[in-house]
Amino acid sequence: MKKQIIQTAIVASLLIGMVACDKNNDSAPVIDKTNDGTFKVFTEGKVTTVQNLLGDTIIGLSPIGQPFGSGKYTLFSLENKAIVPNSDSASSNWDIGVRGTTIITNSGKSGPGNGGAFVWLGAFDNLTTIPTDSVFRTDNPPTYAIPTGSGRGWYNYDGPTNLVTPLPGRVLVIRTAKGKYAKIEILNYYKKGQTPAVSDADDIKLRNQRFYLLRYTYQADGSKTF
Amino acid sequence: MSCTQYDNSMIKLNEIRNNFVSEIKNMNKLLSLFLLLTSLNAVAQQPSRLYDSATRHQLDEVVVTATRNERKITNVAVPVSIINQKTIQRAGSLRLRDILQEQTGLFLTSGFGAGVQMQGLNPDYTLILVDGEPLVGRTAGVLDLNRITVGNIRKIEIVKGPSSSLYGSEALAGVINIITDKSYEKKLSAGLRYGTYNTVDGNIQASARFNKLGTSFFLNAYRTDGYSIRPFSVERSKLPVWRLTPQVKLNYTFSDRTSLSLSIRYNYEQIRNELAVSNNGQIVYSRGKEVNRDLNIIPTLTHQFSNRLKTSMRLYGTRFEGSQQLSTTSGLGYDDYFRQQFYRVENQTDYSPLKDLTLVAGAGYILENVNSNRYDSKESTKTNEVKYGFLQADWKPFKALTFIAGFRYDDNKLYASAFSPKIAAQYTFSDKFRVQASFGKGFKAPDFRQLYLNFTNTAAGGYSVYGALEAQRVIALQQQSGLIKELSDDYYRLQTLRPEFSNGYNAGFTWQILPTLQWQANFFRNDITDLIESRQVATRVDNSQLFSYINVKNAYTQGVETSVKYTLMEGLTVEAGYQLLLTADKDELALVKKGGFYFTRDANNFSVPLAASDYIGLPNRSRHMANLKLNYEHPTQHWFFTLRNLYRGDWAVFDKDGNGIYNRQDGFAKGFLMVNISAGIDLPNGWRMMAGADNLTNYIDITNLPNMPGRTGYVSFNYTFSTSKK
Repeated sequence: MKKQIIQTAIVASLLIGMVACDKNNDSAPVIDKTNDGTFKVFTEGKVTTVQNLLGDTIIGLSPIGQPFGSGKYTLFSLENKAIVPNSDSASSNWDIGVRGTTIITNSGKSGPGNGGAFVWLGAFDNLTTIPTDSVFRTDNPPTYAIPTGSGRGWYNYDGPTNLVTPLPGRVLVIRTAKGKYAKIEILNYYKKGQTPAVSDADDIKLRNQRFYLLRYTYQADGSKTF
Repeated sequence: MSCTQYDNSMIKLNEIRNNFVSEIKNMNKLLSLFLLLTSLNAVAQQPSRLYDSATRHQLDEVVVTATRNERKITNVAVPVSIINQKTIQRAGSLRLRDILQEQTGLFLTSGFGAGVQMQGLNPDYTLILVDGEPLVGRTAGVLDLNRITVGNIRKIEIVKGPSSSLYGSEALAGVINIITDKSYEKKLSAGLRYGTYNTVDGNIQASARFNKLGTSFFLNAYRTDGYSIRPFSVERSKLPVWRLTPQVKLNYTFSDRTSLSLSIRYNYEQIRNELAVSNNGQIVYSRGKEVNRDLNIIPTLTHQFSNRLKTSMRLYGTRFEGSQQLSTTSGLGYDDYFRQQFYRVENQTDYSPLKDLTLVAGAGYILENVNSNRYDSKESTKTNEVKYGFLQADWKPFKALTFIAGFRYDDNKLYASAFSPKIAAQYTFSDKFRVQASFGKGFKAPDFRQLYLNFTNTAAGGYSVYGALEAQRVIALQQQSGLIKELSDDYYRLQTLRPEFSNGYNAGFTWQILPTLQWQANFFRNDITDLIESRQVATRVDNSQLFSYINVKNAYTQGVETSVKYTLMEGLTVEAGYQLLLTADKDELALVKKGGFYFTRDANNFSVPLAASDYIGLPNRSRHMANLKLNYEHPTQHWFFTLRNLYRGDWAVFDKDGNGIYNRQDGFAKGFLMVNISAGIDLPNGWRMMAGADNLTNYIDITNLPNMPGRTGYVSFNYTFSTSKK
């Protein structure tokens, strides 16, 4: 009996060791990139992809028909590739926050960090070095570092179809709470990264929105080159 | 701040199905049968022949719209087409919309009624005339072509290319002139048609001459249950409607040289509304009705001084009055009222100083006013005055060559004046081949909506739209009350609106290859400047948006329209038509070509630069449109058959990649083929009986073609009693 237990323990420890070895070994990790509608983060090379980052669930509609949620931002750390609890908002642990179509940075009135941002016009891969004359804006409501409103910051809202589409060719250049740099491209605003069909009911369009699909590159060394 | 995405929320009025029609349906069927029998009995007296024995050759046809003068179609130097009565009847058309949608190069738009897109330009830019006088009462720039019955139309003349040199504002893409029956011979005719969705259309027409007085009376009645192409939805795509159009014409001949005529036309339209306003997921139901009344009065005095000098004095008064009252489940009622009045006095004098030279000179005054609660108040009358003059010379230096040159000047009270010149030439190489080319400037004046609108949609998103003359004042007031959060860049561009201008170029040929085979083509280009668009000018503190109108856009449309007509054998003709259309917003095109500004997305949703070749220009336009029509008429047995295939290629409807412009990566409505057939018998004794089916293949596109029903069918009976032998 004892022998058996010991044997099992050895086998188990070996197995664990192997798993641990696998974890430490960087060779060709298999990344599940399927977007199943859940929050997921994975990194390939320099680029980290975030799936279904929910910017506050809609809980009702205002008298003029605008949806609203709990009012809280979903905070995210670009450095740690993880969601930061909202209770931690008065810290430098987060870099960006999303609520509806509004994206905040840990700067100005939004947070105590040293953050900032601006919107760069061009393709994600083409932004290799942040231009030296760039001006990072900070959040001072009602104006934000990343401008709010349709066609002005990162998205377009189409009234007749009731759909939000990220503007192509917009890179959000971010200065993180700790003064490092990152570049973000928003890829989609809907669950599973799939914009509902034009003909879908408003209900579907509302229920599946605010699920950010984005990719970013974070430069840990503090330089402006990606 | 979380809600700014609802920026552009536009109200979505979705017509809903009413469910209580089914019981009435059977009753309606009996009633219409009864009407049919009685109306036929009423005229069943000794029938005599009114049989239009053969299609008049196109060469003999006369047009008035192109030059404001009766001229043979072969000699007008601008692209003109004629749709004659027989074509309209045999296509089974009821409303103007029905027959126009079968013409090469015309596309019928939906939204605020049926409008016509000509040479790729929106319905706002085509002038619609009835007997030479403009119809008024446009909603969002669209004059609903369903308002016009084709029951007493003798022919429709379509002139493409700018015609502002003769007609002033709105004749930028072209002119559609509906010419009603003007004969005063003793005649009585009646017709009744019954079709799918309990669509009933009845016509009575009577005319007689009493010595020097010619009289003519016409009455059309139309009703339909409407339909829904979404069987399980509350939304009804076409609403139940009934319309009544009486028209009276009198003509008194004082002498061979002087005559006085009077035409009075009235149109009453009642639409039953069962609406569901979808407001971001919440549906508000409304019920009520919409009533539109349209009155046109045209007295004309014509005097022929000599063979060389003729003058006519025309007075025209028209009024369009529309109202819509709805009660809603949300408690907020909807009450819309719009009245437009248009009065005109005009003199036109035609003078031929030489045998080969005709001069047409005219001058007129227009007084136009509008009352509507879409503006600040229903009681305050908005008025515009236009004084204008035009001159046209028509010179035939030698037999083969025709020159037409002219201009018109419009002096407007509310906005900048407009000068519209035009020049056209035609050279006839032989009976078989002629070429023509023309250049004209067209304009469209800003309408009352663009000047005075004061509309706030409390239901969806709470947006407001203000006319250009109102915006600055209203926004300043709101600013004082602290309601405005920010002004956008476009706010600082607000200024007095200018008319929208175009330079239109047309060049084409007509080639009679064989006696039985004709080929026509026309190349066109329209350069449009100062297009007026609504732009966001400010944002309120509650994030609702304020819009106004600015002259911002420059665009072009260009392409070629071509048609081939071939008579295969006696009675059997085949016609094929095709239009290629290319359009662009010039500013967008310049930026696309420059690169670095517009992007789209690849399969991974990653942004990639937009290739210039992917840019497609203006949305809601098909690059390709084509039709193939077959007409057969038995030479002796009087029966006929038509088959009309109408194809419309893909058109962009949705900016899918969100880059603000339309490109191949965006959302397109799928191209489709519509097949219409009809067959009947047109007897020399005055009877015409026919049956037909439209959209035979039952093509439906719920999202992009909500106003196109599936397959529909009809039967119709007509009887004409006439004393004259044609």
